Amino acid sequence: MMEIGLNHYLVLSTILFSIGLVGVMRRKNLLMLFFATEILLNSVNISFAAISHFYGDLTGQMFAFFVIAIAASEVAVGLGLLIVWHKRHNAIDLDLMSTMKG
Amino acid sequence: MLDNILSILVFFPAIAAIFGFAVAKDSIRAYGVAVAFIEFALSLLLWFSFDSSVSGMQFMEMVPLVPSFGINYILGVDGISLFIVILASFFTMIGIASLGETKNVKNMIISLLFLQMTMAGVFVALDAIVFYVFWELSLVPMLYIIGAWGGPLRIYASVKFFLYTFTGSLIMLVGMLFMAYFYYQATGTWSFAFLEWYRLILPETFQLWLFAAFFIGFAIKVPMFPFHTWLPYAHGQAPTIGSVILAAILLKMGTYAFIRLSLPMFPDASVFFMFPIAIIAIIMIIYTAMVAYAQEDIKQVVAYSSISHMGVIILGTFALNVEGITGSVFLMIAHGVVSGALFLLVGVIYDRRHTKMMAEFGGLASVMPRYATIFGIMLMASVGLPLTINFVGEFLSLLGFYQQSHILTLLAGIAIIVGAIYMLAAYKKMFFGEVTNEENRNLPDVNKRELVALVPLVLITVWLGVYPKPLLEPISNSVKSVVQLMHDKAISEEAKKRIPNLMDGVTRVKEAN
Amino acid sequence: MELLLYTALFAPLVGSLFAALFGASPKTLVTGVVTSLLLGVSLVASTILLVFVITSGQFVHVEMMTWIAAGDLYIPFGFIVDQISVTMMMVVTLVSTVVHVYAIGYMDHDKGFNRFFSWLSAFVFSMMVLVMSDNFAGLFIGWEGVGLCSWGLIGFWYQKESATWAANEAFIMNRIADLGMLIGIFLIYWNTGTLQYHGAFAAMPALENATLVWIGIFLFVGAMGKSAQFPLHTWLADAMEGPTPVSALIHAATMVTAGVYLVIRSHELYALIPNIGLFIASLGAFVAIFAASMALVNRDIKRVIAYSTLSQLGYMFVAAGLGAYWVALFHLMAHAFFKALLFLGAGNVMHAMDSELDPFKMGGLGKKMKVTMIMMTLASVALAGIYPFAGFFSKDLILEAAFVEQHYIIYTVLLVTAGLTAFYSFRIIALIFHGEERYKLFGFHPHEAYKFMLVAMSPLLLLAIIAGSFKLSYFEMVTNLLPAIEYHIHHPLTYWIITLGTQLFVIAAIFFAYKKYMSKSVKVPDGTSAMEKSFFYKLLINQYYIPRFYEEYLIKPYRELSNVFWRHVDQKVVDATVDGIANVIYRTGENSREMQSGNLSTMLKWMVAGLVALLSLAVVFGLATRHSDEIMLILSGLGV
Repeated sequence: MMEIGLNHYLVLSTILFSIGLVGVMRRKNLLMLFFATEILLNSVNISFAAISHFYGDLTGQMFAFFVIAIAASEVAVGLGLLIVWHKRHNAIDLDLMSTMKG
Repeated sequence: MLDNILSILVFFPAIAAIFGFAVAKDSIRAYGVAVAFIEFALSLLLWFSFDSSVSGMQFMEMVPLVPSFGINYILGVDGISLFIVILASFFTMIGIASLGETKNVKNMIISLLFLQMTMAGVFVALDAIVFYVFWELSLVPMLYIIGAWGGPLRIYASVKFFLYTFTGSLIMLVGMLFMAYFYYQATGTWSFAFLEWYRLILPETFQLWLFAAFFIGFAIKVPMFPFHTWLPYAHGQAPTIGSVILAAILLKMGTYAFIRLSLPMFPDASVFFMFPIAIIAIIMIIYTAMVAYAQEDIKQVVAYSSISHMGVIILGTFALNVEGITGSVFLMIAHGVVSGALFLLVGVIYDRRHTKMMAEFGGLASVMPRYATIFGIMLMASVGLPLTINFVGEFLSLLGFYQQSHILTLLAGIAIIVGAIYMLAAYKKMFFGEVTNEENRNLPDVNKRELVALVPLVLITVWLGVYPKPLLEPISNSVKSVVQLMHDKAISEEAKKRIPNLMDGVTRVKEAN
Repeated sequence: MELLLYTALFAPLVGSLFAALFGASPKTLVTGVVTSLLLGVSLVASTILLVFVITSGQFVHVEMMTWIAAGDLYIPFGFIVDQISVTMMMVVTLVSTVVHVYAIGYMDHDKGFNRFFSWLSAFVFSMMVLVMSDNFAGLFIGWEGVGLCSWGLIGFWYQKESATWAANEAFIMNRIADLGMLIGIFLIYWNTGTLQYHGAFAAMPALENATLVWIGIFLFVGAMGKSAQFPLHTWLADAMEGPTPVSALIHAATMVTAGVYLVIRSHELYALIPNIGLFIASLGAFVAIFAASMALVNRDIKRVIAYSTLSQLGYMFVAAGLGAYWVALFHLMAHAFFKALLFLGAGNVMHAMDSELDPFKMGGLGKKMKVTMIMMTLASVALAGIYPFAGFFSKDLILEAAFVEQHYIIYTVLLVTAGLTAFYSFRIIALIFHGEERYKLFGFHPHEAYKFMLVAMSPLLLLAIIAGSFKLSYFEMVTNLLPAIEYHIHHPLTYWIITLGTQLFVIAAIFFAYKKYMSKSVKVPDGTSAMEKSFFYKLLINQYYIPRFYEEYLIKPYRELSNVFWRHVDQKVVDATVDGIANVIYRTGENSREMQSGNLSTMLKWMVAGLVALLSLAVVFGLATRHSDEIMLILSGLGV
């Protein structure tokens, strides 16, 4: 049986991060964008927790908690805004949301 | 009061300008003239109290600003800057006095007073940051004057002027910061004071880079070829008073800075770059004179002639001996007087005919004889006729540079030929011949308001041409100390050879060629 | 004595300023009278100074005030009256006074009467500064001053395009030469440490020959401009556009002689570099015959006299170049008198003929203008060098000097020129005053000039006749300063053959001229005669096509080049570069604006890109720091 070491967790975290990154780049649907953002945040949580466990420093796990809390509040606000936008425009396609042009 | 006279000279116009906002529109002219007159009187007082035999800084003031970085408010004046300060206040005075019909004259006068503050500030500042602040601040009123009262292309011209000069100044700022850093490395204290920077002897490579950085800033201001193209537009689009102040004073900031900063701080680099800069100066002289000859607009002729004369000034500066640098400082004053007068003269005819194209004129000498006479005198001064102020400066500058290179001086001397060519051709086009254009037939001659500005300038041109001693003496003394400083600080062999050692009792160096 | 010096020097300036006050007003006789009087004062002062210098052999030297003092350079306004300058002062003041009085009559109906006298007196002042200065810088002040005043006087009738063009040409050509002089002055200062004549000349023997040669060359270039030596000669003939009194004063007697004066003043220098002296003499001889040839066919009486001036200047330079400085100065003096007289006489003729200049349209004027005819004839006799008139003593001396010094080519050239001189001078006399009265065909009504003008001219006539008798006393005086070389042809037979031969040659030429141009068959040439079509005629009447050459190959290209510089270089290259840089920045900004599209997806993509870039940089730097030693090894291997 292979030893599951720190590296494995970090690789997992990296894979999840890239998945999230690709999702952020490619998703046109706002809801899907939120999913991808969640994946990004959670991937980082995994690596925080893993490093914290393997080095015996609790700081990482505390940080992960912060991230979870903030992710949750961000999603709450974001979903609220999304629903308001949907009510008004009946679509949540990113390409239609470019009123803040430079 | 004399202890703080420099601060008064610098800030009085600005404070008066702020109060000027409250002055009624009808009295603003009188107010402006009064303020400018007081300023001029103060500058004369400064001259009167100035000791010509002292070569160092006088009337120094110091107030710490940011002590931890060595940024202090230091002012001081010596023979080199004294007369430019007086010239600045003089031109502000006669400029405001002879302002013609101008819309929003209140704004114009307030801008001019602010401009006066910045000009006085540049020439008496002895701390790099204070110097830089005034240097950049001078751009703002000028931008406004050109942009608000200028010709059809005024926005283009003023923005170009501002951005071009500003870019150069930023590079100069980087140079200044580096200089301060080197000073800190060498002595352990921060300082931005010029007098302290003078004492720093830098290795040659550092000098070269710093010289180049400062050079960009100054060269654009002078303006030196090929950074000169902002000037014809600025002059062409600016109102008369804007051109007068620009040519008479603002251009001198660049050449003054060379003598105040580049030469004493980087003597080896100055010698190293002497010949390339001389080549540029010669190009400035001859090339712009030829371009002036091809112009059809009289104001552009005068604008390009300005650049041509600045070439001789630069040449004199880089002669790196007492005669040459004295000549170049004197020529700065002379050029200010003569160019200022020429631009005022162009303004006279523009006020009457609202055109500056020479083809529209012709035969004016019979219609406006007094105008033709004054223009003729200034023309001859510009061409460098002996017994006018320009000759003294040109003669000394060329004489000085002759020591460094015979051939280049011969080439530069072509200035007297090409200068005569374009000036005489322009004068002939405007004044000689028959009156071909009906509109010219009944033009009124110069009136009192215009004469108020022109007559003093003519008198100065002739007086200082015949008796330049009151100016030459203090300038020469201050220049002597600069040259001696340069010689003492120089580390390379070449520099020691080319910069004369005044302690030997002669200002002549054995033929360097 | 000093007071006299200042009087002689500044009286003309006072006159000039006085007249300038009336500059814009119509003619006021008092300006002419006052200026002439003041010049008379100057003349009297100069005469007293002359007597003083002769009798006591001393100089009068003043230093008025400091002019320029910078570094080691010290240039005062200093003036000296020595034998050379007092001779020049006499010539200048005498001819100027005569011309001023003459001009009161000549410029009688001119609107610019007051302005004229202002310029004229200013000119005399500048010339006095030139000849009385005791240093090279003061000389240069006067030098440029006469250039300025001649500009104002040649272009006096400024409504005429040709006049203003000639004025500008004169000024610019003189400036070209002035550059040479300026360089010479620089050389003198940096090598001798002073610009005072006394100090500079004393230091010169110690200098290297090469340096002296350069100083001599450059100073002579300056002289070439003022004295219109080839190739800077075209301005002199064109300068005839100015009023005739101007021609008399400036272009016969004073300004053009400034170059000769310079060489004479610098004799101590030129004595050290005889090769340059020989070059000057050769050029002088060339100019003498060159100018005389052009005068042979010219149809403008003033131009003919102008060419004759040019030719005589050549003679003076031959003398100066060969070291016969006192001879040159003597000829300068004599020439001033009879040449000014000739010009003033021509002025009378022009006035009578409504400013007509073509002698072929005159003829038989002797009947109406007896006095002028006598004056001009006698002046021409003096010019031709017939004994016992002044010209004989001065010109023949030059010929003798050339012969004695064994420069036979120069001698021959000068001899031939003497013949040509006689010919063309009397050609004009014959055409104007003798023969058929062709002027009647053209409707002219000539009359003699005002009596007072004739009276004013008479001193010149007198001097043209008797000036030769001053030779000995002049020699004694001037050789206190100048080398006293006497030119004697030792073998009396040779001497007599040469002298008599020259006289006979000249007289023959005069007769030939009279015969040809007095005959009744003289007609106004209209371009069809065989002579007019001949190559040589065309060459001479077009002044060897030199003005055309200058116009085509110097003036036009300069103008073209200036235009090219402006439109193509300054605007299209230099300025375009600046605008180009500005454009690049602007367009970059425009394009970067796309980044702010407001589209979240795009912006996120940019964020990711930035993140990747920063990460890679961090990795690269980290690796570099970790393996810095190996990297340094590789770099040094590459020779960095």
